[in-house]
Amino acid sequence: MMPALLSVAASLASYAGFACLALAMPRHWAEASGQESAAAPHRRRLRPLGLLMLGVSYALCVYRDGPSFGALLWVLLCYAAAIAVALTLTWQPRLLLPAVWLYRSVAKGP
Amino acid sequence: MEHTFGNAMARLHTWAGVILGGLLFAIFWMGTLCVFDREIDRWMMPKTRLAKTSDISLDHLARAVASTVPAKASQWRVDLPTDRVPTLRFSCRDGAGDVIARHLDPATYQIIPDQGTKAGTGFIFPFHYGLHLKWKDLGKWFVGLAAMTMLVLLVSGVVVHKKIFAQFFTFRPRKGVQRGSLDLHCLTGVIGLPFHLAMTLSGLIIFVSFYFPQAQWGAYGSGEGAKAAYTAEAFGSFTRPRADAPGTLASLDAMASQAEREWAGGQPYFVRVWHPGDANSYVELRRSYAGDITMNLDQIYFDAASGELLHRFEAAAVMKVQRFISGLHFIQFDHWTLRWLYFLAGLSGCVMIATGFIFWLGARRARHARKGLAGVRVVEGLTVGSVTGIIVATLAFFAANRLLPQGTSFAGQGRAALEIWTFYLVWVACFIQAWWRPAAAWREQAWAICVIALACVLLNSVTTGDHLIRTVSQRTWAVAGMDAMLLLLTLLAAWVAIRLGRKAVDRAVQSGPVSIATEVRS
Repeated sequence: MMPALLSVAASLASYAGFACLALAMPRHWAEASGQESAAAPHRRRLRPLGLLMLGVSYALCVYRDGPSFGALLWVLLCYAAAIAVALTLTWQPRLLLPAVWLYRSVAKGP
Repeated sequence: MEHTFGNAMARLHTWAGVILGGLLFAIFWMGTLCVFDREIDRWMMPKTRLAKTSDISLDHLARAVASTVPAKASQWRVDLPTDRVPTLRFSCRDGAGDVIARHLDPATYQIIPDQGTKAGTGFIFPFHYGLHLKWKDLGKWFVGLAAMTMLVLLVSGVVVHKKIFAQFFTFRPRKGVQRGSLDLHCLTGVIGLPFHLAMTLSGLIIFVSFYFPQAQWGAYGSGEGAKAAYTAEAFGSFTRPRADAPGTLASLDAMASQAEREWAGGQPYFVRVWHPGDANSYVELRRSYAGDITMNLDQIYFDAASGELLHRFEAAAVMKVQRFISGLHFIQFDHWTLRWLYFLAGLSGCVMIATGFIFWLGARRARHARKGLAGVRVVEGLTVGSVTGIIVATLAFFAANRLLPQGTSFAGQGRAALEIWTFYLVWVACFIQAWWRPAAAWREQAWAICVIALACVLLNSVTTGDHLIRTVSQRTWAVAGMDAMLLLLTLLAAWVAIRLGRKAVDRAVQSGPVSIATEVRS
């Protein structure tokens, strides 16, 4: 059960990571939020957040399978996750809206 | 066209891709199937769809196979059951050097009748690295050339499609086939770059002593003696001559337990008895690598009569690195998540090659038609034959396996050979159809995939009784997975075929191809 949960968590983390990296790009931000993006300052914060999520995914993979299998699992999960984000942006960009809201609520904060 | 670096790379990428893309697709397709070669074996060899047994007595096994081993056999070997292969695989070399290979039931140690097929490990896997062209190892050289080309294509691709980083995560299928296929080509190419680079390079490194023997010649010299010395030091080997006097065989189980102690818990994956029945007979045990990426070369040799340890081998550091890289490519480890991810990554590689072709064709179709050039027609036939054609041929290979009765032979060809003939004849027919009816070939071959894939599932159910509900409830995952993938392929092919049909109607109503070929060069 635990390994299955860990791989689900690692998959979600890498998906979220790539979703953040995608939203950091003006074109994809516009697709997901439905607004033309101005020169929004969001890029600066979404990118490190995305990288952080990928790091979390890596940590989960290594925790699950050890350094060698973990690293391999992470590389292939990233591949699948990045393709999944691209397909989400193509067919259901609105699915990434929660990330947009989350970003906005954080960005509005102090 | 200006003579710039970018243009040179564009020409290289385009022409290397067009010329060797078909071969690359075949290698990628077969390699992707190899991820599940053992599962394909189970599907194609119904009598080997058994439950795994963990308690195997090697001594019991040795008594059971004794009558099958011919007199003067130089060796016999049994591979033990794994999570993916439930049977015991017995093989031996008779005095003349001919190989006899059989599956044994792990519960009864009885020989399972020959299933009359080369299946995944015997046909699809060797196709992947050698194309079954054995004359002067031509097949392996073609695969090596294709791999080197693949490296060139990956690097030049990054230069040519400069927008891939600006357009990361971008796929716009609604903007037409051209736009969509270029997006998909770049997406799978750039996101899959680490995977494709690792697979291509590791594929070459596996065959380092074939493609680059100069390395070992430099250290060991050339000639038979030097080759033997290299093999012994790199891969390990222990030999001693026959005594030509009768000998006995001590307990193999005791040797296996001693090996497990020596390996600190590592399990043997095969046992091999050299010079069986001779006074100088000896036993070889190899350590399993099911739990590790590195395919270790650990081996232990025992004296057959006394059970005394004769020799132990472990690979040196450089070989361990080579075996790690090989392990990344061979995926012989037990890890289902990774196995499925490899399968998906392999399929996305197939998509990358196919979309590259489709873009090339779309960029030139109108121009070639206007100027009366044959290029598009030739390449379109090549593309259809090597993309949908090999899929149709593979499915025909599976269908033939379920249709031909056991023991069939025709024109001197046994059942296993007939399956392979079916593959090649259907593949050739697909090429002929693609050149003959280029306008309809994509759609018609998509329908062929749909129909044959569905037929395979039905035939499996009718001929073996293992329908999907039963295989799932009995947890025969290999067969269930194969059937599920075939059904998925049926649906996918039907969807593609219907869409292509609609497009053909649209095109008849109004035509107006839009060329965006300039974008790549800009």
